[in-house]
Amino acid sequence: MNWRAELDELRLRERLAHAMGGPDKVKRQHDGGRLTVRERIDRLVDAASFHETGAIAGSATYDENNELKSFTASNSIFGRARIDGRPVVVVGDDFTVRGGSADATIHEKPLMAERMAAEFRLPIVRIIEGSGGGGSVKTIETKGRANLPGGVGTSLGFHYTTANMAVVPVVALGLGSVAGLGAARLAASHYSVMTKSSAMFVAGPPVVARVGQDLSKQELGGWEIQTKSGAVDHAVETEDEAFACARRFLSYLPSSVYELPPRLENDDDPERRDDSLMQAIPKDRRKVYKVRPIIEAVVDRGSFFEIGVMFGRSVVTGLARLDGRPVAVMASDPYFYGGSWTATACQKIVRFVDLAETFHLPVVYFMDCPGFLIGLEAERAATIRHGVRAMAAINQTSVPWCTIIIRNSFGVAGAVHQPAGRLALRYAWLSGYWGSLPLEGGIEAAYRAEIDAAPDPAAKLCEIEDRLNKLRSPFRTAEAFWVEEIIDPRETRPLVCEFARLSDKLLTVGPSAFPIRP
Amino acid sequence: MGEMPVRSELNAVVLKIEVAPGDRVQEGDTLIVLESMKMEIPVSAPRAGIVAAILVEEKQTVEEGQKIAVLGA
Repeated sequence: MNWRAELDELRLRERLAHAMGGPDKVKRQHDGGRLTVRERIDRLVDAASFHETGAIAGSATYDENNELKSFTASNSIFGRARIDGRPVVVVGDDFTVRGGSADATIHEKPLMAERMAAEFRLPIVRIIEGSGGGGSVKTIETKGRANLPGGVGTSLGFHYTTANMAVVPVVALGLGSVAGLGAARLAASHYSVMTKSSAMFVAGPPVVARVGQDLSKQELGGWEIQTKSGAVDHAVETEDEAFACARRFLSYLPSSVYELPPRLENDDDPERRDDSLMQAIPKDRRKVYKVRPIIEAVVDRGSFFEIGVMFGRSVVTGLARLDGRPVAVMASDPYFYGGSWTATACQKIVRFVDLAETFHLPVVYFMDCPGFLIGLEAERAATIRHGVRAMAAINQTSVPWCTIIIRNSFGVAGAVHQPAGRLALRYAWLSGYWGSLPLEGGIEAAYRAEIDAAPDPAAKLCEIEDRLNKLRSPFRTAEAFWVEEIIDPRETRPLVCEFARLSDKLLTVGPSAFPIRP
Repeated sequence: MGEMPVRSELNAVVLKIEVAPGDRVQEGDTLIVLESMKMEIPVSAPRAGIVAAILVEEKQTVEEGQKIAVLGA
């Protein structure tokens, strides 16, 4: 006697599950240029590392002898796998079964995936397509009653959707059309990627048509809309690129807040001095420069990984390594409003420094900030509200912080270049230029009476400007020890690598004092 | 290779127009200089081609996403 017959039935049921929504639906998925959820998981994770949980959960029919007649798997597939050798949880929507909608999901499956990530302290990658397990109108008929969103028995999923962000890295990939709950699960992540053929929206075109907007999927929620709005972090051409982005993002982070970020071998000399930095900043203060080559010249070669390139563009954010140690890098981009802090840039900063705080990443900030964006549009956008939120986020960090002032530092936004109230490291380049507010426009405000009383107001303005310019040398500031150090820009890499090494002793594991919000 | 719109990536004022319709440009050449927060922000050619149209004038205000020039083959 053995269990051969039972084993055969288990394998049969697994085979039926692997057929997903059947050959026609799988063909439709492929014809649309999209992989099936099982192909996606295989390409995302290390070869043959996926161990599935609940593969044979689904809905079955039986004949009159109670023999299995047909079986359709749940459209939520999850399990554990490895990425770069490290264990993760992967959960994916199977669009070939009922378009990923709730009536075929078995909602305990995505819930268990989230719980597994939380309780086993593993990063989670959500592969999202369709409504992400959300209900459809049809659900009323299949269930025979209307679902109360967040009602009895359904609120735990919503809990983990956001709460996991304070415990483990959450990566979300939007592959296909993503709506409703799917959109929420995509946005409630530390890092989200969509393919350029995908679309994401709260509600899709047919629903939006009822409120009078006749738009295609792309017009409503295509990649340009969603990356510029900041709802999605990154867009790529192919699904394989999306998987590569997910793997790379995770490579900088610990598996949970209970570990420190993983240090890699580094073959880029920490003492390397890059001569390009000596010419990086134009002497003409009205001229802009490209900041990304500056970042790349300082961090370990090839290690800079930008996040959110299309959103809040006056501030660049990303992950990098210094002497093999992961760090969070923030920099100003003068091509956008001179690097000034816009309302969206401030939102980006809040989310980014919260990420650094959550996962114990030291922060390096390459600063060139002429202040907050000014003008009517900036006031309408509540720039100052978002600005003080960014200030609070930076002040609330406890991770080690190092600021390189590479040019401007003006106004309140200029003041927020390191956490107030604790010691950070700070170096100013020779091109450092600062003040309470810029001379241009500032002189007219502060010397109004003197200028108005002069026989030639324009000449008086120039005279005052000359007078003040002579005083603004950064060396006079250093002489008074209002700035602690002015450096040759080529010293930047050795100094920030030293900062990263010093940080080793300061990083402590555990949840952050305040849980991060999406 | 058809026509390609060149858009402003920010709200700004047109400071200088560096090219005229019919000019041949290389990728990266400055087409128009915008001004924002007292800084000069060059808008460069996304690829080589011939300037088909300049859609703005100096001192004009432009908005993020506004088409400001057209590049032809």
